[in-house]
Amino acid sequence: MKILHRALVLSMAMAVPAFAQQPIVLQWQTANLTESQYEPIWKRTIAEFEAANPGIRIEPVLVARKDHWTKFVAAAQARQAPCIVTVDLTTAAYNGYLLPLDKYWNAEPAAFRNAWSKDILASARWKGELYGLPIWGGTYGEIYNRDMVVKAGLDPAKPPKTIDEYVAWGRKLTGTDHWALAVLGGKTDTTTRVLLTWIWANGGEAFNKDMTEATFAKDPKSLAAIKLYLGFAGKNGIAAPAPTTTNYLEQTNLFAQNKIATMRNAYWSVAKVVGDNPALKGRMFATPIPANVPNAPTLANVAASSISSSCKYPDAAWKFIKFDAGRKWQVERAVIANWMPLRNDVANDPAITADPMLAAFVRMGEHARSYPLPHPAWADIAANDIVDAVQKALLSPEKTDEIFRDLDVRVTRKLRDL
Amino acid sequence: MAASRPSRARPFARRRLYGYAFVAPVVVFLCAIVVFPLGHAFWTSLLRVRGLRSTFVGFDNYVHVLSDDAFWHSLVISLAFTSIAVSLHMVLGLALALVLDTLKSARTALRIAFLSPWMVAPAVGATIWLWLLEPQFGVVNYLLRATGIVDAPIAWLGEQLLAFASIVAVDVWRGVPFVMLLMLAGLQTVPPEQYEAAAMDGASTWQRFRYVTWPNLRYLLIVATTLDVINTVRHYDIVGVMTAGGPAEATQVLPVLLYNTAFRGNRFGEAAAIGVLLLAIVLALSTFYIRVTRIGRDEVAR
Repeated sequence: MKILHRALVLSMAMAVPAFAQQPIVLQWQTANLTESQYEPIWKRTIAEFEAANPGIRIEPVLVARKDHWTKFVAAAQARQAPCIVTVDLTTAAYNGYLLPLDKYWNAEPAAFRNAWSKDILASARWKGELYGLPIWGGTYGEIYNRDMVVKAGLDPAKPPKTIDEYVAWGRKLTGTDHWALAVLGGKTDTTTRVLLTWIWANGGEAFNKDMTEATFAKDPKSLAAIKLYLGFAGKNGIAAPAPTTTNYLEQTNLFAQNKIATMRNAYWSVAKVVGDNPALKGRMFATPIPANVPNAPTLANVAASSISSSCKYPDAAWKFIKFDAGRKWQVERAVIANWMPLRNDVANDPAITADPMLAAFVRMGEHARSYPLPHPAWADIAANDIVDAVQKALLSPEKTDEIFRDLDVRVTRKLRDL
Repeated sequence: MAASRPSRARPFARRRLYGYAFVAPVVVFLCAIVVFPLGHAFWTSLLRVRGLRSTFVGFDNYVHVLSDDAFWHSLVISLAFTSIAVSLHMVLGLALALVLDTLKSARTALRIAFLSPWMVAPAVGATIWLWLLEPQFGVVNYLLRATGIVDAPIAWLGEQLLAFASIVAVDVWRGVPFVMLLMLAGLQTVPPEQYEAAAMDGASTWQRFRYVTWPNLRYLLIVATTLDVINTVRHYDIVGVMTAGGPAEATQVLPVLLYNTAFRGNRFGEAAAIGVLLLAIVLALSTFYIRVTRIGRDEVAR
């Protein structure tokens, strides 16, 4: 009995330092961890960070894109959200799911803070507080399949600059079993992103300045753009069939299979398409979105890394976020995964300037509005209301005016219900 | 006399205590997985929830939900989906059971084959069908075009009526095996003498079904239908995976509306109110089920 007692005490004494040395485990969740173009990069990021910080372990949370927000919200409601997340920042901050980061940001040296412009940082603020560090972005441009363009008798050196020129190109790029573009009407917010680019390209506005009123139908230029764009999916239109089930995945699949000659997308879609069809590497070119107004803004999706409000180790989480935001990873993400860097000290990196398409997208970003739009109800409006309206208009085009007038009323009510 | 009463009462009280002790773990378990979540859901339905903040608003959420067209639209879609799917489950399930019952060979193999959709998890099956029905690259359209039945791809999930029909079809594919199994079990209980007597009287196949099979299976069919309705009306997986309620809310059954309100709309209070209303519907159906089984038991006892 005495021996057993001593053995027990000895083993407990040995276990205490073992327990004390348990590393901090930080869960990391973003929708992009499941994308094949990003996988090699994030695995290396984690490996190098853990090697440099032996007391911290990063546990990636892999989740399908369409379940990402649901999983995060469910975990956040249970106060068990992953420490490091990339989510719709304004909605998450409004709901209390994220930790303000000003304490960490202000403690950083000026050299670090100056790598981000005020405009980029503004996209990660809610009510003046910083809730995320912008890590990467995606500026939307028009990407063309060079071979399909040439085959249609068009000149890649003279791409369309106006919407009318684009439509003229579109008619020539449409034939038997191949089309000019795909109209996005699937049930994700990518539908809303592309719709907004069409509205802005026509000089229209979908919302008033302070985001208290929706003007999809109220603004005549906005409504005209919506009708033109959705009209492409008509019976003899220039868009691929089945738009109400077309999301980013279907659009890039169609492009990779040479079924559509153009896609309005961000640079990251190029990596996806080349991954699906390596023969397309170097066979594409990108231009600013054709527009009817000079310097029409495009859309720039800004992804920021945030710390959830239920994170037990925010200091360690900030350490990883800073590491991931480093120059090296910004350049790697840009070159391999085609995600735009957001630091202003990498634009002249040789790896960036050597890629003409990447350089073109960087230039397009000079006239871009950041997305998601800064309203707490945006996640709901973008993925539910606007998508439903687009789907209804695609299925009943004769009711487009009425549908978008109803949308204005519905969305305006949500914008004011804070 | 007075002294004997306490001594008889004590063992009885002790036996009662043992009874409570044995039942206690189950009661605690049921409270944890049923009573507490129900109570919490009902409490949440009385709050305006915005993320981690909530305010008591009484029955405002119910008023908002019941005055929203989306709720009534979803209720109609739910009722249509449930009634069509369950009817097809019963008809096809009974037909398959009758066929299997008459087969002399390959019975077991066919039973396993017919049961296989039921063995697949609903979300997995729905994902498989999502890809089969993909308009440009799906197998279904490929086969239809290759055989010349259609000359252009069909947007199975991209048009309202087609999307509704598709989810019904997938639900029928998944739900028929269970009904088939129940009916097959029921057919084994039909007394063979009744079939022999009918055959001796010169009854046709239809008459044998109408006067022998049907009366014996009637009670089982009612029970199966009620259980199937209860199960189908609260079904989320297939619709959630395949259409998420689209296109244009054509397939937005109540459970999908609940999910979209909670997780896309971030309105947990309203979503909880929808859940409570859905529970009321399921409870009404369950009450009907209990009544039916009681009537059935009484009939059998007579």
